[in-house]
Amino acid sequence: MTVTDERPTVEVAEHQRLVTLKIRRYDPEVGPEATWQEFQVPVEKGDRLLDALHHVKWYIDGSLSFRRSCAHGVCGSDAMRINGVNRLSCKVLVKDLGEVITIEPIKGLTVLKDLIVDMDPFFEAFKSIKPFLITNGNAPTRERLQSAEDRARFDDSTKCIMCAACTTSCPVFWNDEAYFGPQAIVMAHRFIFDSRDEGADERLEILNEKEGVWRCRTTFNCTDACPRGIQVTKAIQEVKRALIFRKV
Amino acid sequence: MTDLHNYDVVVVGAGGAGLRAAIEAHDQGARVAVVCKSLLGKAHTVMAEGGIAAAMGNLYPEDNWRVHFRDTMRGGKMLNHWRMAQLHAQEAPDRVRELEDWGALFDRTKDGLISQRDFGGHRFARLAHVGDRTGLELIRTLQQRAVALGIDVYMEHTITRLLTGPDGAISGAFGYRRVDGEFVAWQAPSVILATGGIGKSYVVTSNSWEYTGDGHSLALQAGASLVNMEFVQFHPTGMVWPISVKGILITESVRGEGGVLKNSEGRRFMFDYIPEFFRAETADTEEEADRWYDDHANNRRPPELLPRDEVARAINAEVKAGRGSPHGGVFLDIASRRSAEDIKRRLPSMYHQFKELAEVDITVEAMEVGPTCHYVMGGVEVDPESQAALVPGLFAAGEVSGGMHGSNRLGGNSLSDLLVFGKRAGTAAATHAKASMAASITQEALADAEQAALRPFEEKSGDNPYAVWHALQAAMNELVGIIRNADEVERALATIEELKAKKLSVTGGRAYNPGWHLALDLPNMLRVSECIAKAALERQESRGGHTRDEFPKPDAEWGKLNLICTLNDDRSGIALTRKPLPVMPPELAEIFEETL
Repeated sequence: MTVTDERPTVEVAEHQRLVTLKIRRYDPEVGPEATWQEFQVPVEKGDRLLDALHHVKWYIDGSLSFRRSCAHGVCGSDAMRINGVNRLSCKVLVKDLGEVITIEPIKGLTVLKDLIVDMDPFFEAFKSIKPFLITNGNAPTRERLQSAEDRARFDDSTKCIMCAACTTSCPVFWNDEAYFGPQAIVMAHRFIFDSRDEGADERLEILNEKEGVWRCRTTFNCTDACPRGIQVTKAIQEVKRALIFRKV
Repeated sequence: MTDLHNYDVVVVGAGGAGLRAAIEAHDQGARVAVVCKSLLGKAHTVMAEGGIAAAMGNLYPEDNWRVHFRDTMRGGKMLNHWRMAQLHAQEAPDRVRELEDWGALFDRTKDGLISQRDFGGHRFARLAHVGDRTGLELIRTLQQRAVALGIDVYMEHTITRLLTGPDGAISGAFGYRRVDGEFVAWQAPSVILATGGIGKSYVVTSNSWEYTGDGHSLALQAGASLVNMEFVQFHPTGMVWPISVKGILITESVRGEGGVLKNSEGRRFMFDYIPEFFRAETADTEEEADRWYDDHANNRRPPELLPRDEVARAINAEVKAGRGSPHGGVFLDIASRRSAEDIKRRLPSMYHQFKELAEVDITVEAMEVGPTCHYVMGGVEVDPESQAALVPGLFAAGEVSGGMHGSNRLGGNSLSDLLVFGKRAGTAAATHAKASMAASITQEALADAEQAALRPFEEKSGDNPYAVWHALQAAMNELVGIIRNADEVERALATIEELKAKKLSVTGGRAYNPGWHLALDLPNMLRVSECIAKAALERQESRGGHTRDEFPKPDAEWGKLNLICTLNDDRSGIALTRKPLPVMPPELAEIFEETL
């Protein structure tokens, strides 16, 4: 597959060096099998993996598909499996990845093309835990009050950017897509421990079901994978504890 | 074959404005579809850091809508549509409280109220915020609300054309599903554009991939007009190093929290760039400026917190004068001004961004910063009450609409704009749909739209869309950037004409093919770039986000005029007309005479 106006890929300036990107590619219009394809890419100090992927797309193969948006770790679009671990490509520097870098789609979700996976099951899990504030009674005329301590209680789980790096690093999720996965539980945690929310009971019931929080085997993959540094496993443990003691 | 859906209101874009509009239209009883290019929750709004400007008075009880209105108009150098600025200032506090009611997290005062922070151009601490991730929380809250209401969202679909009936009114929208390239159309009497901005026409930009001017271009093609397109905001503080992250935003909150700008000689140079227009309200000594952070009542604002256009021009001038930082910016120093603990608590995202991407510890070292293309003030010309465009059934809200911010937007006024006018557009679009006959799209219109979308596959010897895109970005960056002159803008227009004439070829199939997607986005980028360049050439003065080398001062006569862009008669390019500014009623004009 070539594009017109193709530039030679191995032109390396003095301040650059060559790395090899080994990318898992799949195109349903070409064939049923995924294949590995290698690209030689010149990189310089400070380049992120996303820059190297852009080099491939802009100058070598315009059909290479991957999601990306904000390009600095806020939108959570570009989670991928990089050298075997889930990372955001906009937040890892090429210099930390060696001479040959393997890049695959995140695991456990159906691959649609190249590094693009079907995110529908992920979004369905998110929806299933009722990810919205549940309150009774009338809305207040001004804002609800919340103390700094109450606000801090669930600060960590509000940092989630829904990149799916945690969920798709979870061995339980790989083997059973029906499991909500860590992200949905973090999102539930965000509401269960919000002092303004009154829906903890119904959310805990959902999480208590057979595909719920008890499937977690505490492997800590999710915590390692989170690009925001959220203590994912800890959040899951707190939800488990809330279920046992029925007290938030 | 095109997959066909029926709705009352179709919202194009799922950032703050689109989601707020969809929620409102839904609440008004309309059947609503949201169509967006990205996955839900990834829209550009997510990147907003500083906060939502609203005169809630939680920290300064003397704050009210009149002060916010005045700040906004003065920040826009009085070119704003006065009625939009008024509605915005009046309604923003309710929109923030409503978000809180829906569950949004905010930093709080010691009394448990929503906390507010200082920002450039705002007289009082006015930005409701959560750390430096306010946009993330805003979009997540609206996304969660949309889930709670069960609103239909078509993720990863791109609209390529608006469809109109024989009477010229909107009948729907046509586009493709990114994942498999199949065509989809939505029949609806109301379409709300909420597509954001145009930054991807520039090399150095803080904008995300989505910002290809789709809504601006769709509106023009449907027969609507754009206003204020010459005004492009260059945010003063983008990263300049490493080169791979050049342009990524550093929030204005760094300055709001006490950060100062210094040149290579260590001088706080902003004191040298206080314009006459803001002299009375700006501190002229470092001592007064530093006192202001704790006592707003008895001191004037530091010059680092002048509106963005002033700060961006000052940085540009320092670098040109040879007093820049090693990588062509200036220094933004918070390390010597606040404790490491404070910096990490108030600006956690900035701390991590520099640590990870630039290997700089901002609690120890100064950041290197420079201007980056951030926001387009110009957009679809709309009715201030309803956000209705010239085309019946077409509405626009958020960055894609024009008029609200005049020649320069104040920080924090974007998130509030999204909420205030998103809601208004939602109401008006639902009302319009109720009063309309069911929309109907003809087979011919669909066939024509399909054929146009597939053209890049048929063209065998055309150019690589990436090469054309990069040529456009270079021209806009170099020739229609922060400082402009007639000669350079004319050269940019010549380049745009050359690029418009190019045929584009793509390879591969229709399944998630980024080369094809770009080939369809490019005409939009070219069209908005032509608007920016033509309007920039026409306006012979300097005002807000438009600076002309040959005409360095604002001109009173130009201050009474807007420039309007429409498609020209043969639809091959942009026609420009001058239009008098709407006149502010005397009871509002008085506000500018008052001591507030």
